[in-house]
Amino acid sequence: MGQYAIKRFLTIVPVLAGISLIVFSFIHLIPGDPAVTMLGERATPERVAEIRAQLGLDKPLSTQYAIYIGKILQGDLGASILRGDPVLRDLVRRFPATVELAISAILIAISVGVPMGIISAVWRNSLFDGVSRLIALAGVSMPIFWLGLMLAWFFGVVLGWLPTGFRLGTDVTLAPVTNFQVLDSLIAGNTTALASSLRHLVLPAVALSTIPMAVIARMTRASLLEVLSQDYIRTAESKGLPQRSVILRHAMRNALLPVMTVTGLQVGRLLAGAILTETIFSWPGIGLWIYESIQARDYPIVQGATLFIATIFVTVNLITDLLYATVDPRIRYD
Amino acid sequence: MKHIIGPIILAVFALLLLTTPGIAQTTFIFGAQGEPVDLDPAIITDGISSRITRQIYEGLVKYKGDTTEVVPALAEKWTVSPDGTVWTFTLQKNVKFHDGTPFDAAAVVWNFERWRFSKGPQHENVLKIGKTFEYYGKQFGGFDEKSIISKVEAVNPTTVRITLNSPQGPFLNNLGMFVFDIASPTAVQKHGTAFSKNPVGTGPFKFVEWKVGQEVILEANKDYWDKANAPKVQRSVIRNIKDSSQRLAALKAGEIHGMEGLNPDDVKVVRNDPNLQVILRPTNTTGYLAFNYKVKEFTDKRVRQAVANAINRKAIVDALYGGTGMVASQFQPPSLWGYNKELKDHPFDPQRARDLLRDAGFPQGLKEITWEDGRKEPLQFWYMPVSRPYYPNPKEIAEAMAADLARVGITVQLQTTDWAVYLDKRKNGQLPLYMLGWTGDNGDPDNFVCYFFCQPGASTEAFYANQPLAETLLQAQKMTDQPRRAELYRKAEQMIQDDIARLFIANNQPPLAFRKNVRGYVANPTGSEFFNTVYFQ
Repeated sequence: MGQYAIKRFLTIVPVLAGISLIVFSFIHLIPGDPAVTMLGERATPERVAEIRAQLGLDKPLSTQYAIYIGKILQGDLGASILRGDPVLRDLVRRFPATVELAISAILIAISVGVPMGIISAVWRNSLFDGVSRLIALAGVSMPIFWLGLMLAWFFGVVLGWLPTGFRLGTDVTLAPVTNFQVLDSLIAGNTTALASSLRHLVLPAVALSTIPMAVIARMTRASLLEVLSQDYIRTAESKGLPQRSVILRHAMRNALLPVMTVTGLQVGRLLAGAILTETIFSWPGIGLWIYESIQARDYPIVQGATLFIATIFVTVNLITDLLYATVDPRIRYD
Repeated sequence: MKHIIGPIILAVFALLLLTTPGIAQTTFIFGAQGEPVDLDPAIITDGISSRITRQIYEGLVKYKGDTTEVVPALAEKWTVSPDGTVWTFTLQKNVKFHDGTPFDAAAVVWNFERWRFSKGPQHENVLKIGKTFEYYGKQFGGFDEKSIISKVEAVNPTTVRITLNSPQGPFLNNLGMFVFDIASPTAVQKHGTAFSKNPVGTGPFKFVEWKVGQEVILEANKDYWDKANAPKVQRSVIRNIKDSSQRLAALKAGEIHGMEGLNPDDVKVVRNDPNLQVILRPTNTTGYLAFNYKVKEFTDKRVRQAVANAINRKAIVDALYGGTGMVASQFQPPSLWGYNKELKDHPFDPQRARDLLRDAGFPQGLKEITWEDGRKEPLQFWYMPVSRPYYPNPKEIAEAMAADLARVGITVQLQTTDWAVYLDKRKNGQLPLYMLGWTGDNGDPDNFVCYFFCQPGASTEAFYANQPLAETLLQAQKMTDQPRRAELYRKAEQMIQDDIARLFIANNQPPLAFRKNVRGYVANPTGSEFFNTVYFQ
């Protein structure tokens, strides 16, 4: 296991190197002078030259890449062209908002998706199964931005129950400690802020949870159906064990393995989905930040944030793989 | 475990339903299209940032209400020497910056020196964070010795004298721009490179907090010097809501009170909503169609005239501007004082267009063009890949124009590319026929017309050369007498029109949306408006 972990960990290095190369190439793959792209129709030659120098575009490509990697290794992701703020600092400041949203979404996805999948599998081809499969299909195919707008419209504008965006009402003050707002409200013992935070969290979390929820439900159903047809389940049933115990204690343990993998993979989707969700709900995390930076052609932010997300994605997959090995003792990696 | 989950879920729901926040009517919340870049007016160039800095800072002069007429602000009056080079400003008395330090002539001098001298420590601090005093350089001819402003002196604590190298017509209009608002010297020195995050001015609102990615919070300045114009609300919050539909949803839900960047399609929706209202920003923007004068066919005025007569601009404006556009007869929008009301616009007359083409030697129509170097190619019509106030839907507008042209026998191929490449090609004079436009900075006609027509034969402007026009504009630029300048700009517009140098398509009045009970919001053509006049009914 230890050896496997090390081996598996080492495979990350070339992956990250590859990602850094792609991220680095962004700026050169986009047609046109990046400086002109950023400055628009009023670009003056002096300002273009300044931006080029600032981005290091006046140096040879190989030198630029070497400088880029050198800086990354020192934890320097550069500074925003637009605002001059260090990318890493803003990343750290904004990431908790995205994590808070992603955790809420994945919790919703698991707590709805897994039971839905189990019930569908157990009562296969029942009405519930049909409906839940339909929901799952709709969940994976519905564009988040559309769903987000509809949710905001219905619950925010028509019913007026929940806010259409943001993390906190303008009438609430909360000093940031961890930047995880729910946590900060609890630390401060501020129930008004807690209520406001939760209210603001509901719609974006639901919008973001639909795809993973649907995927998890479908995977749970498929995987459980496969396990239920196996001999040891029939043995357990013929032994006279109650169905509840057969499913939850015997079948689920095996059926959950692929579900776990899929859930791990959803983290990547969540981060991608966060770009849309955060934009629609004005949620000040890294998704909205990336979107704004792409629009403003603020390359250092786009590069830094992409690299960061890719690293997170690779790491989560690594953790999933390691968990896999822990949960299923039969799996030996050599 | 089971016994805990139930109560927790119940508690969460109770919390959710517990507070349905109503917004107190003492806070004005405005939905902006994005996040401010910086809050130091001297270094910003965008409207999102300047809308905020305008509440915190003030300049010597400002634009009146919904016009670009210059009126007193921190300067109560001024005089100019007969030769137009020495301006003497008398300042308001008893004005304090938000940090308690006095606003006086010394502070004004200090600000001008910060902008102008590139070796000054507070000028260098700005360069250190990768910024420049871009507009100072642009409006006043450069920095240090290059600056047209040669001397700024404090005659006494309430009098400032500004000496120019040569008279500058747009000088007062320049000073009214948000970039020349006066900052507290003490605060700039105290915060150094971080000043742009800690703004201190003399304005009706004080800066409270900038929640990155979310909002900027301002509170009413209780010690505001101009009691008659003290803010009517206690707080202002400018929220960053990137998505236009979501901004409208927040407005409908009552979470914000006003918003900018309304989609043309949504104007009708807002007009039909009994709780909302539309306010149009007076137009300050013109979209045009430019001819490249290295294309032989376009050097023939009859061909340009044919294009002008062929395009039904009114139909385009009616169909594609959401009811906020106007046909442009000239480059300056009607809100500018150099606008020529007498100018007769090109009529929409397809038959005349056909006749003109025939007279010009294209009885079979025009499909192919010849560049100056003899290169022949099909006629390409370039449209922008991005939308701008002057062209909210460039592609649809281009298609409509192409269809109109086809009807008179001018066949074009529609083309576009990435924005940067588009601008590059335009800069290098490679586009034969293309769409672009301009949005004014300071309400001075010079900022519109001279920017494009003062350098005859430049590739940036598709090699259009008109020496008398350039001379007229340069003459107007050097004068300070507004009525005489206006006359010259009207003449210039006539010259551009007579020559059909460009075809001006449309002006647009960008729409803003508000809750019905919001009163006193006055939209200025330059986008510089003040929240102190806003109140709730």
